[in-house]
Amino acid sequence: MALVNISSPHHHGLSKTSRLMGWVLLATLPGLAVQSYFYGYGTLINLLWASVLSLGFEAIVLGLRRRPIMPYLTDGSALVTAFLLALALPPFSPWWLTLVAVLFSIVFAKHLYGGLGSNPFNPAMVGYALCLIAFPVSMTQWAGTESTLSFGQQWQWFWLESIDGGIDAWTRATPLDLMRHTKGLTLNEVASTNPQLGLGLIANMWVNVAYLLGGLFLLAIRAFTWHAPVAMLAGLGLCAGLFHMGEPDLYPSASQHLLTGATMLSAFFIVTDPVSGATSRQGKLVFGAGVGILVFIIRSYGSYPDAFAFAILLMNLSAPLIDTYTKPKAYGHQPKKPHSQGDK
Amino acid sequence: MHKIWNFHGGVHPVENKTQSNQLPIIVMPIPTQLTMHLSQHIGKVAKAIVETGDYVLKGQLIACAQGVVSANVHAPSSGHVSAIADRTLPHQSALSGPCIVIDTDGKDQWATLTPTANPESLSKPDLLNLIQAAGITGMGGAGFPSAVKLQPKSNIHTLIINGAECEPYITADDRLMREYAAQIIAGIQLVQQLIDQPHCLIGIEDNKPEAVAALTYAADQHTNIEVCVIPTKYPSGGEKQLIEILTGKQVPHGGIPADIGMVCQNVGTVKAIFDAIILGQPLINRITTVTGKAAANAGNYEVLLGTQVTDILAFAKVDLAKTSRLVMGGPMMGFTIQDTHTPIIKSSNCILAAADLELAPVADHHACIRCGQCEVACPAQLLPQQLFWFAKAEEFEKAQDHNLSDCIECGACAWVCPSQIPLVQYYRYAKGRLKTINSEAQLAEASRLRFENREQRLVDEKLAKEEKRKARALTAAAAQAAKRAANPSAEDPIAAALARVNLKKQAQTNIAAQKSPEDEYKELKTAAAITRTKLNKTRKALTNAQAQDHEQAQELQQTVIALTTKASAAAAELHAYEVKLGLDPEKEKTLQLAVAKANGVVRKLEKSLATADDLQQLEAEIFNAKAIHEAAGLALEEHQANAKEKPTSTQES
Repeated sequence: MALVNISSPHHHGLSKTSRLMGWVLLATLPGLAVQSYFYGYGTLINLLWASVLSLGFEAIVLGLRRRPIMPYLTDGSALVTAFLLALALPPFSPWWLTLVAVLFSIVFAKHLYGGLGSNPFNPAMVGYALCLIAFPVSMTQWAGTESTLSFGQQWQWFWLESIDGGIDAWTRATPLDLMRHTKGLTLNEVASTNPQLGLGLIANMWVNVAYLLGGLFLLAIRAFTWHAPVAMLAGLGLCAGLFHMGEPDLYPSASQHLLTGATMLSAFFIVTDPVSGATSRQGKLVFGAGVGILVFIIRSYGSYPDAFAFAILLMNLSAPLIDTYTKPKAYGHQPKKPHSQGDK
Repeated sequence: MHKIWNFHGGVHPVENKTQSNQLPIIVMPIPTQLTMHLSQHIGKVAKAIVETGDYVLKGQLIACAQGVVSANVHAPSSGHVSAIADRTLPHQSALSGPCIVIDTDGKDQWATLTPTANPESLSKPDLLNLIQAAGITGMGGAGFPSAVKLQPKSNIHTLIINGAECEPYITADDRLMREYAAQIIAGIQLVQQLIDQPHCLIGIEDNKPEAVAALTYAADQHTNIEVCVIPTKYPSGGEKQLIEILTGKQVPHGGIPADIGMVCQNVGTVKAIFDAIILGQPLINRITTVTGKAAANAGNYEVLLGTQVTDILAFAKVDLAKTSRLVMGGPMMGFTIQDTHTPIIKSSNCILAAADLELAPVADHHACIRCGQCEVACPAQLLPQQLFWFAKAEEFEKAQDHNLSDCIECGACAWVCPSQIPLVQYYRYAKGRLKTINSEAQLAEASRLRFENREQRLVDEKLAKEEKRKARALTAAAAQAAKRAANPSAEDPIAAALARVNLKKQAQTNIAAQKSPEDEYKELKTAAAITRTKLNKTRKALTNAQAQDHEQAQELQQTVIALTTKASAAAAELHAYEVKLGLDPEKEKTLQLAVAKANGVVRKLEKSLATADDLQQLEAEIFNAKAIHEAAGLALEEHQANAKEKPTSTQES
């Protein structure tokens, strides 16, 4: 009999980091499927490539840092970063673009800051923002929805950035691009002169709905609290709604804002990143709302069509400050209004 | 029914209660040896009042409470005191503490008891005395002396009875409530009688329907005792949490329930109060759950205090070979023990003999990802993830700022932590360090105060002395004045003395002011010479520097200019003084030269005297030269005499 001497509690719930990460990966699948349906095999190829790279870089850096490799590799955090990057990058990303993004995410944004749990910025967003600034052309190659390439063609593009037969018109401006560069036209005029805008909006909407479903699933299993995503969507929706009411010709409606671009992916998979976000629930409300408002501002007035990477990185910067001012009142520190559970 | 509130956080661990709550309480036979710790409670260690070799009866007082917060200890069975020595404490640290070891004789002979047939007649002090004498402490876990808790300073309107028993595995209170419901209600009435009939709420989790039924039945006739069924959620049995569940109020930070008019007692404690007052029996036994996969006969046992764990394990047929972890208390807040000779004390509610993998394995923990699940679970509404980072970084002040002291160490945060970080251990560490830091700070503060007080005292003493002296001087002056008034013709002796002193002083100053002119002249001369030397030296340095193109040349140039001015000033001053003295160094020099010259001529002539051809002429020449020399010497003397005379005359004029 060898009795151990350890500190309480001696019981543990089922919660595990790897399980949590597994749920997050699982929840991205509907979005991945819909995205692939509309935009072709690009995202899938990207996803595989990013996963391989991510695990590889993670293992190498862990080795260099003399950390145990397997426990950290299996916690799933590197895979989550890979998935988020692959889903956020355009389907027509060539191999090197993904490589740069993953390298920067895992090695620089994550491990140089101390690895899992210590990174002040969301690794995937750092990688994404780097590519957005460094390779703006490659970062806007979204497929048009009406012409999807075969797997072979996509595969060729992925490695060579050219396609036999020279198909053109396979990339299109995204709805957000179109709505930004209206060249003095009202939104209605833009819609009438760009038939693909309607199609793009529909594709965008379905992708967003799929991510929303995945997000609701995560919320249901309590992978995170509702505060950050709801605050973000509310912040974005309210700003968009107000401006749309004032100038409907210039500002797209709230629903268009909420269901285009990376809105839902960000709301449920990136804003909810606990490591780089605010800590308390009140803090998460502020954090989420800040992201929402910044997204609206950058989408409306900035020079980039979508704005999540920058909005999130900016709010990551503010998280420690938010934490300082949103410390919850502990038990016995306030004359609290009791919340009733009803008479029994 | 009574309204139920919710409390923040909480978790739902697997209950594991059915293993031990199916069978009635079994009375364990008397073990051969009982080890009675003198510190079975929070507060001061009790003082042994028996000697080794004494024969003690069951229920006899063997150790006395020391001070207010302390509790009596009684012999749980009859026998001889075989030792008064240190034994392992039931504590995670496995440290030792003083014990009275009793070798039982199996007769189980009671001391004379004084039961009370008519408790209504007892006054409040009587009740308190009986509770205090019986050595009753909180039986739920903390072991705080009940008599102290039951004399609150504020008005109590609600008595909360804790029957929640929220820890998994433990069913001691459950069985107690089922089997001793009437005694518990009677005990509650005694407590109500003691603290001005407050309304009583008994909180029981809804996973104990039999206990609820038993107590509801027993309390049926009592309008001011209410049985409240609360949802099963760990840690609803925490005192602060139970108060919030039953009343919706929070105990203020740093306060006690009595601050909001409440007192909380465990069901086991009120049963012990019943035994003490109605039966006259002191606290010598308790119900302890023995459970876990390694225990073949899991159940609840009425054990004598001081029974060693090994005896209980043997009686409950625990397979020690299968046991990987022995926990005293529940799996959430209990502590592991390694010495099976550790005895049962008043607050030991459970022994959990866990088989391999029954409890969470000792896992390597991962990095904290700030997922916030701990924050959701924390019943104290803290930010456990932040506290963890602070404890890890040894930022104890920040931890204190984030209300570390409000942590009740319930373990809910660690239970939910996906990274399996032993959070509570970090908090205990931080609390311990903070305690040390604060006590050191207090010590330093005390020393500072002591020092400052001493300084102040010294200053005060000095001032007091000064005051006294002044007072004395005043009295003396008054006496003088009176004397003068009586004899006005007499001269004031003090004034006369002062005048004398003043005169003397003046004379001294005059003497000091008169410096002899020779000295003054010498001083001036020296000053001039020094300045000259300095000037020459600097000039030389300047030349060198200029030759080497040194960067200091500029600076030296400046110095030379300054020194030149100084030197000429010193020379001028000297000259002025010479003029004032009437000295003429030039003239003096010329005269001296003339004397020397004349002298030289005389010597030369005298030398040539030996070889001279014309002696007469030579002699005449020598005579002349001598005359010239004499004249020159006279002129010099006269000049010097004049110079000496002059300053004296100026001084006198």
